[in-house]
Amino acid sequence: MYRIENHPILPEFHRGKRVAFLFDGKEYEGFEGEPIAIALRDNGVMVHHYTAKRAEPRGIFCAIGRCNDCVMIVDGAPNIRTCVTPLQAGMKVETQYGTSNEGVTGRQ
Amino acid sequence: MIRYEVIIIGAGPAGLSAAIEAAARGLKVVVFDENDKPGGQLFKQIHKFFGAKEHQARERGFRIGERLLAQAVGLGVKVVLGAQVVGIFDNKQITVMIDTQMEYYVGNSIVIATGASENVISFPGWTLPGVIGAGAAQTLMNIYGLRPGSKVLMVGSGNVGVVVGYQLIQAGCQVAAVIDAAAHIGGYGVHAAKIARMGVPFYLSHTIAQAHGTDRVCGATIVEVDQAWQPVPGSEKFLDVDVICLAVGLSPMSQLARLAGCLLQDHPHKGGLVPVCDEYGETTVKDIYAAGDVAGIEEASSAMLQGRIAGNAIACRHGYISRTEFERYHAEYKTSLMQLRGGTFGHDGGEKTQPKHTAEGQPLSQTLLTKGYLDERELTVFPGIPGEAARKQGLVAVLECTQNIPCNPCQDVCPKGCIKVGDKITNLPVMVSSAHCSGCGLCVISCPGQAIFLVNETYADNFAAVSIPYELVPLPVPGSKGMACDRSGAVLAEAEVISVRKNAKSDGTALLTMKVPGQWAMLARFFKPGAALQEG
Repeated sequence: MYRIENHPILPEFHRGKRVAFLFDGKEYEGFEGEPIAIALRDNGVMVHHYTAKRAEPRGIFCAIGRCNDCVMIVDGAPNIRTCVTPLQAGMKVETQYGTSNEGVTGRQ
Repeated sequence: MIRYEVIIIGAGPAGLSAAIEAAARGLKVVVFDENDKPGGQLFKQIHKFFGAKEHQARERGFRIGERLLAQAVGLGVKVVLGAQVVGIFDNKQITVMIDTQMEYYVGNSIVIATGASENVISFPGWTLPGVIGAGAAQTLMNIYGLRPGSKVLMVGSGNVGVVVGYQLIQAGCQVAAVIDAAAHIGGYGVHAAKIARMGVPFYLSHTIAQAHGTDRVCGATIVEVDQAWQPVPGSEKFLDVDVICLAVGLSPMSQLARLAGCLLQDHPHKGGLVPVCDEYGETTVKDIYAAGDVAGIEEASSAMLQGRIAGNAIACRHGYISRTEFERYHAEYKTSLMQLRGGTFGHDGGEKTQPKHTAEGQPLSQTLLTKGYLDERELTVFPGIPGEAARKQGLVAVLECTQNIPCNPCQDVCPKGCIKVGDKITNLPVMVSSAHCSGCGLCVISCPGQAIFLVNETYADNFAAVSIPYELVPLPVPGSKGMACDRSGAVLAEAEVISVRKNAKSDGTALLTMKVPGQWAMLARFFKPGAALQEG
C-alpha cells in the first residue's frame, strides 16, 4: 500500500520477483533483492527491535545502514541492519528484543 | 598489498569527479565506497540542479550520477562497492573491509570524499518508528519506490527540507507543514515556493515539542519559540502526521581525515570539523586531498568541481600533465566553483547574515522568507516581472526569481534572447524584450526553481492563459477542470486546462497552460485538479 506505482519523474522502479518471507512466524511478501526493511514497511511493519534497557521500539531511521535502529534477527543472526540487507525468498525475520537473539528473556 | 596511483574514498559526486579527472590523464585509479550502489546521494536527487551549463544545470541529479559513473568506468576506473575504508596509516596505506575480509592498499595519492552525515535533534518521542531522516525519506521514495508514510511533518526549512518536501508530494504523500526554529526559511526561496503554492504551510520560529504514539508516530505537537529559543506557552499545535522527517543539517564526515593526521578546524559555516585544505583540496598531509561535503557542506555541483580540482592537481604532481595545462584547467574549474559560491546563499567566505536586499538593491521578499511565497505587491520591483504595459501587449514570461542564486538556464534556453542573467550567474534574470517571446515555454520547463510562468492577459475576453511547470501525477488532460491556486496555495477560481506539453527535453516537467479569470493572471500559479469543493 506504500509502493509508488506511477512517479512523475522517475522511470519504473526495478523490482525483483515477488517472494515470500516470514516475519515473526507469519508469511509476508516482498520483492527479492530489496532491503528487508522496505518489504516490512510496505506490509505495515514499523517496529524492528526493542531496546535492551528500556524496551523502547525502534524502526527505520537513516535507511543507509548507519544508525543501527533497524536491526533485527535474520535467519537466526541478531543485529542485522535490515535497511541494507537484501530480502531473499524464505528468509526468517524476527523482531529483536535487546541486543541478542535470545528473545524477550534475554533483556531481563 | 595492492598499489594504485590514486585511491579515492567515496563514490559520490566529488569522488567520481576526482576519479574521472585523474583517470583521463592516465593515472591508475581505484574508488572505494561502503554502499552497494555508487553515486553517493546523487541517485536520490530527482530535482533539476542549479548552476550554469558547465555545472550540468537543469539536469536532474540522478542523471548526472549515471553519467559520472559511466564516464569513470569508461576511463578504466575501478569502483569497488561494499568496501568500507576503516583505517589510514602512514605513507598512504589504507585498510578496507570488503564483505568480511580486510584488504590492504597503498596509494601515491588519496582523495577523501566521504561526504556528510545527517544531523538530528532530539525531542520527546524522537526515537519512535516513523521519525526518519530526510535522507531516509529520499532513499525510500527515490531508490526503492516506497512512500515513507501518508502525512509528513518536515522539520527544517533548508534546501534539504524543502526539496525533500517537494519529492514527498511527488511520491504521493501529504506534507502537513514545514517547520524551522529559525525566523527565516533557510533554503532557496524558489524551492520553498514550489511547495507553498501546493498549500504546504511554513511555521517559522517553531520547533517540535513532541512526537506522539506508543509504537509508531501518530501525530506531532509543534510549538512556537521566542527569540531566546524558548517555547511560547499556549502556542502548541497538534498535527495529524504519521511521519516526522528531520532535515536539520549535515555534518562533514571527516573521521578518516583525522585518522590520517590531517589538521582539522571547526568551521560553523562549513558544517563542523573539516580538514584544512589548500586551494587544490590538499590537506596538511602531503598527497592526501579532501573534496566535497567532507571539506565543507555545499551542493553536489560544487563537490563535482572540487573533485575535478583535486584530480587535476594530482595529475600534475605526478607528472601526467604539464604545469601550463594544469594551470589552464585549474583556472577554469576555480572560476566555475567561485560562480557557484557567489550570491546570497554562497560560501564565498565568512559568516553570512540574513541580507535585507538583493545584490541589485531590491528589498528581499519577507513573505518568501517567512511563508515560502512571494506577495504580488513585492514583486513589481524585480527585473524579471513584466509591467502592466508589456502584459497588455500579449504573452509574456514572468520570472519570479528574486534571490541571488547561482543559476542561468533561463538565459541559456531562450531561443529569442529575451532573458539576460549576464556573466555573473548569481544576477537576477532580467526580461530584456518581452516583445519577441514566442511562448515556447522552454524557460518555464528548464528553470530548476520552477519560478518562471507564461502569462497571456489577452488570451480571451475576461480570461487569461497562465502556463506553469507541472511535475505531478496524474497529469491533467486538456479540457479538464480544476482550481487555480495562488502562490500560497489558496484557491482563487475554477480553471480549465488548455494544453499540456511534455517532451524529451523537458525531462518530466510538463508545461501546463490553464485558462483563468482575467483578474487572476498575476496571481494564479498552481493548478489543483478536481472539483471546486476545497476551501480557500
